[in-house]
Amino acid sequence: MAKKSHLILCVDDELVGLRVRKLLLERAGYRVLTALDGNTGLEIFKAEPVEAVVLDYSMPGMHGGEVASLMRQAKPEIPILLLSAYIGLPTEVTSVVNLYMTKGEGAPLLLKKLGTLLEHGVSAP
Amino acid sequence: MNLAQFKRILLQVFLLPVIGLLLTAGALYWQFRGSNATVDLIQTSDSRIAQATLIAKLVVDEESGLRGYETTSDPRFLEPFNDAEQHIEAEFQKLDALAGSDAEQKTTIEDLRNEHQTWRDAFALPVIATVRAGGETNDVDLNLYGKSLMDQVKQDLTTLIERENVRRSVRVSEWHQQGKNMLEALLAIALGMGILIGLFTRSRLHAVSAAYRMSLEVLSRRAEEIFQSEQRLRTTLASIGDGVVTCDAEGRIQMMNPVACELTGWSQAEATERPLEEVFRIVNEVTREPLETPVAKVKRLNSVVALANHTALIRKDGTELIIADSGAPIRDQTGATIGIVLVFRDITMERRTQEALLANEKLAVAGRLAATIAHEIHNPLDSVSNLLYLMRNGCSEEESKQFMEMAGQELARVTQISRAMLGLYRESKAPVPVNLNEMLHETLLLMDHRFMELGVKVRADLPEGLEVEAFPAELRQVFTNLITNAAEAASPGGEVRICASPVPASIALSGQKMPGGVRVTIADSGPGIPAEVRPHLFQPFFTTKGERGTGLGLWVSRGIINKHGGTIELSSETGESSHGTVVSVTLATKPGIATAVA
Repeated sequence: MAKKSHLILCVDDELVGLRVRKLLLERAGYRVLTALDGNTGLEIFKAEPVEAVVLDYSMPGMHGGEVASLMRQAKPEIPILLLSAYIGLPTEVTSVVNLYMTKGEGAPLLLKKLGTLLEHGVSAP
Repeated sequence: MNLAQFKRILLQVFLLPVIGLLLTAGALYWQFRGSNATVDLIQTSDSRIAQATLIAKLVVDEESGLRGYETTSDPRFLEPFNDAEQHIEAEFQKLDALAGSDAEQKTTIEDLRNEHQTWRDAFALPVIATVRAGGETNDVDLNLYGKSLMDQVKQDLTTLIERENVRRSVRVSEWHQQGKNMLEALLAIALGMGILIGLFTRSRLHAVSAAYRMSLEVLSRRAEEIFQSEQRLRTTLASIGDGVVTCDAEGRIQMMNPVACELTGWSQAEATERPLEEVFRIVNEVTREPLETPVAKVKRLNSVVALANHTALIRKDGTELIIADSGAPIRDQTGATIGIVLVFRDITMERRTQEALLANEKLAVAGRLAATIAHEIHNPLDSVSNLLYLMRNGCSEEESKQFMEMAGQELARVTQISRAMLGLYRESKAPVPVNLNEMLHETLLLMDHRFMELGVKVRADLPEGLEVEAFPAELRQVFTNLITNAAEAASPGGEVRICASPVPASIALSGQKMPGGVRVTIADSGPGIPAEVRPHLFQPFFTTKGERGTGLGLWVSRGIINKHGGTIELSSETGESSHGTVVSVTLATKPGIATAVA
């Protein structure tokens, strides 16, 4: 478990889910920023030194895939983890992000994957 | 040739001989009259000859009387003279009258009279006077003088008679000629008339016979046409894909085509003359009650009838077919029903196909919702599992309470979604009271996420207490369909409005009684449906959504609403300023739904 207090950005339109995820990540020792839609998320992403993004796929307006590709354009080195309630997202979406997982797979897996991502992110230039 | 022409010919053929004979009679009469006139003239000649002969005799009497008296001086010898003397003037007048206007004869008669007068005055009377006076009269010169006078008289008489005889023989030969002429004319006229009548009658008979031959030809052509037409109809009937049975007015079977035989299981020979009810046994597919035969129905209503839905035909061997049929009266020229024709076909396969399609569409509706449902369930589940993880890893009592409450809320959401989803599949055999407000809210809940994805705002105006009797799963399917369509049309950034309102019982323009019920309208602010597309909307397999649509949604929806005794109507505007589509579903509060297998 990383305890380096990475700054994570969570984007999800589900308020309850977002709150719980924030709590979870904070408990895991991360600092967490939240956004309820893609546009707000992008603004925060550009403005703050975010180290990783946990992104919901299904959102009104702009879906996770679109948000991810815009984020890649801005800061390509930041790892993105895409969460979705759907199974079988199109490859053009999953190929943009570093990791993709289905909601409900459980908190340990999420934390583990996020940890791996951050390690890779840190080890990357 | 029509009857009037034929009658005219008959009249002509009758009249021509009559006219011909009349003309012949006229000619004969004219000839006869000429002949008569000649005979009259001959008689006149005869009379003149007789008269002249009479006068000649009188003259001879006078002369011989005078001679006797001259010789004897006895007055008794003078009697013939005196007698003739008395009459002769009258006889002369008669002769003159008989001569008429014959100038030559008249002159001769005048001469005769004068010469006789001269003989009498210059010879006879002086001789008589001399004898009476006792004188001598045998002087030769005197007697020669008297003789020469008398000779002239006789000469005139002879001339008269001879001339008249010549005339008579001319007239007689004329009469003979006339007779000959008449005979010739008679022959000529008879021959002419005969030929004329013969030719005319022949030409008329030719016309009649031509007309008769033509009639025969037309008749035989008609017969051939009728035969061909009957063959055509027979073949059509035999090769038609539907079962066809014809009955007489009493409902006895007259004819069945091969398909009808196959469907009923009765052969044509077995079925002929049997009452229709025996061969064509139909019951209600669901209630098993025997149904009125189309023949009875046609007789009762005296018009074309289509049979009720859910008709099952019990075949001869006891197996059943689901059929659709119709009956129509066969009428004669006066409009009286002389028979009934029944047309029916096996719709068992059609029904099965339809059922398969309906099931397919039901699955498609659920399938379309599956992603939404997964999302709706996974989201709360994710939160709950995260909360559990947090609690397991240690938290304060207050936090724990808060987490449990949140988890409870999220679970309630899952339950609600799951229940709404089950509602889509719950089958019921009979209609049950359905709270439309509840049902529509549940439907909207299931689709909530889809609305968000589509970027569509949904406004619902659903008053409490709107209840109808219906099959809930089916109604859900309809509303899910209609609301999905509306949301997809309004996307992105549009609006969908869903309203429900009670409808009072009324009488439609068609005079049909409309029961009270509820109208649900689903309106979207989408671009609208072009007019050329609108007529196809309720057809099966018609879709505007390409691969994403089955093309069955509206077709199935209408089927369901019709089954509920309701109506579904669609209006759409494609204008620049105002556009969108409104679908209204009207449902009766207490519909008379046939409890059929859904």
